[in-house]
Amino acid sequence: MDFSFMKSSPVFLEIGRDFLKAEKDRGNVQILLERGADGRLTAAGRERVTSGLRAFVNKKSFQPRTRAYCAIGANGVSLRRLSLPVSSKEKFDQVLRLQIEAELPLAPDELAWGHRLLDTGGTAASQEVLVAAVKKEVIEEYRDILAPCGLEPVFTLAALARNFLSPPANGTHALLDVGNNRLELVIFEKGIPTAIRLLPAAAELPIWDAVSKAAGANWNGNKIYLTGANGEMVSQVARRLNGSIECALLAVEPGASAAILGLKKSVEQNDGAQLLILQNRAKPSAGRFDASSPELKPWLLRAAVLIFLLVSLPYIEALVMKPFLARKLAALKADKGRLATIDNELDFLRSLKQSQPPYLDALFVLAKSAPPGTRFDSLTMDRHGDLSLHGVMQNGAQVTDFRSKLIASGFFSTVSVDEQTPTPDRQGVNLRMTAQWKPVEARAGLAIGPTAEEIQKAKTNQDGATGGGVPPGMMPPGIIMPQ
Amino acid sequence: MTPREKRTVRFATIGIGVYLAIFAGYQAWKFGERKRTDYRQLVKEAQELRDEVKRYDDKIAVVKKLMENFHMDPAGLKRSSVVAEASSAIQKAAQGGGFQVGPIREAPAHASGRELASIQFEGSGPVKGAVGLLHRLESVGYPLIIDSAQFSADPMRPGQLKVKLTVVILDFEQWKSEGAPSA
Repeated sequence: MDFSFMKSSPVFLEIGRDFLKAEKDRGNVQILLERGADGRLTAAGRERVTSGLRAFVNKKSFQPRTRAYCAIGANGVSLRRLSLPVSSKEKFDQVLRLQIEAELPLAPDELAWGHRLLDTGGTAASQEVLVAAVKKEVIEEYRDILAPCGLEPVFTLAALARNFLSPPANGTHALLDVGNNRLELVIFEKGIPTAIRLLPAAAELPIWDAVSKAAGANWNGNKIYLTGANGEMVSQVARRLNGSIECALLAVEPGASAAILGLKKSVEQNDGAQLLILQNRAKPSAGRFDASSPELKPWLLRAAVLIFLLVSLPYIEALVMKPFLARKLAALKADKGRLATIDNELDFLRSLKQSQPPYLDALFVLAKSAPPGTRFDSLTMDRHGDLSLHGVMQNGAQVTDFRSKLIASGFFSTVSVDEQTPTPDRQGVNLRMTAQWKPVEARAGLAIGPTAEEIQKAKTNQDGATGGGVPPGMMPPGIIMPQ
Repeated sequence: MTPREKRTVRFATIGIGVYLAIFAGYQAWKFGERKRTDYRQLVKEAQELRDEVKRYDDKIAVVKKLMENFHMDPAGLKRSSVVAEASSAIQKAAQGGGFQVGPIREAPAHASGRELASIQFEGSGPVKGAVGLLHRLESVGYPLIIDSAQFSADPMRPGQLKVKLTVVILDFEQWKSEGAPSA
């Protein structure tokens, strides 16, 4: 399934002293920043930036936060190349923090900083690390603006991001970004930034002095790349440098941000793995619980609400649901009377079914057992199971056979021939029989009734017959009814 | 007030507040617990009732089947009219089978036998009609039991049977009044 609609493209930002440039997909926006005398953004300025960025990012509520790569200006940034003793991975952070504490004027907890291990200049006993740091308030201020816009920011230095545009990025050169009222100069040695400087406006620029001062006497670079400048400015700079250093303009479209282009290039190449990310690495205060922390308050509140609900829900359920349940239960109890009716009806219907005398079964057994030529003059049955019949059969053998068949059927418990006398014309035998059928429990296992073949035969016979509604097969042929 | 008095008043206020909070909380908890116990009792009753009703599912199915077989709804039977309606239904069933209906006599049944009345019916018709009548009487829609059946030759109509049936009508009301479920 395609979930691409859930993802959104990353946002690239450059945050300078007086502007914020943002780019997403092919769209871009520039917002002016309004700062107070202390250098921090004013409340109105923050509001304007937030609303402008929110509209630009246009994050849907169902989408996760969008990653924002932010390149910040060099103002207040310290760049150090530190030499650390080789240590295990677990101890490295601890050693690095100690070294930062020794080298920088602020404690690591008060800084947002990042580092990159350098693979040159180290010995077997030491390793070189490049550290960039800035006051953590700077990063937190920007984070507070970006987070409400649905962004998840990561911060790096704009000066380093621009270097991804220079050919080659790991060369020894200087990179000068020309801004409206200040310049950012970074010196690189074999792609490693060694110094970062903020210079006054271009018109007052003693560039060579600045470069040589920043680079130091040992810098052997002979090329300076310019961004944010035009061709005329490049010639001016080249003239001022007296041709001792080659000047080149990095190709950037007018109005575009070289830092953003550098960020994009880095992200496209290796998902930003080479970016030096500045992070607030304040040590978690082990074992301390600060309930007054603003981040913690909403969570504490939610936890308190959940605990309250957990404890009180059974009571709330009882209070709220009891009237409904009581009403429903009363209705069910009122209906309970119907259960007694069902019992009565079942009793009655069962009794009715069991009281039905098996007259048809008796007739079927008689008809099936009677030999051909038998004539019944009368037949009487009652529901107590007594059966008596008068009839005529051809001879005594038929009477015996008839009686045997009745007994063999299993339907009757007793069969007696009360009287058997020859007819006056000696052609047959007058017969008077009585029988008693078995009780219902004893008859339960008997299979009395016509077979499928007999039913089919009866159906065939019925096609030509009139009237009736006689159950099929109940009176098989063989019985002669009195004329 | 001196600071010491103020502190005393403050402590006293806090103490009384805590006492009241605990007291009110305890009362609220007691009230809630009582309601909860009642509710649990109701839930238990509801579950028992549900189980009891569930047990009746099978009985209902049997009743339904028997009612379909007999073409009869016992709840719809009226004591005052059931004898007349049953008599009419017997005659219709007989005539439907090509039977000529003869004398019909109604008599009140024995009070002890859960019977409402008995009907003595005479008629004559073909053999098939007689057998069919026996079959149809079970499903005419009334609680009938054939007490006795007598078949004999009809001397007036050769080839026809003379049938004399004594039919008993059961009194459903007696099952209702006894009421003790035994099924």
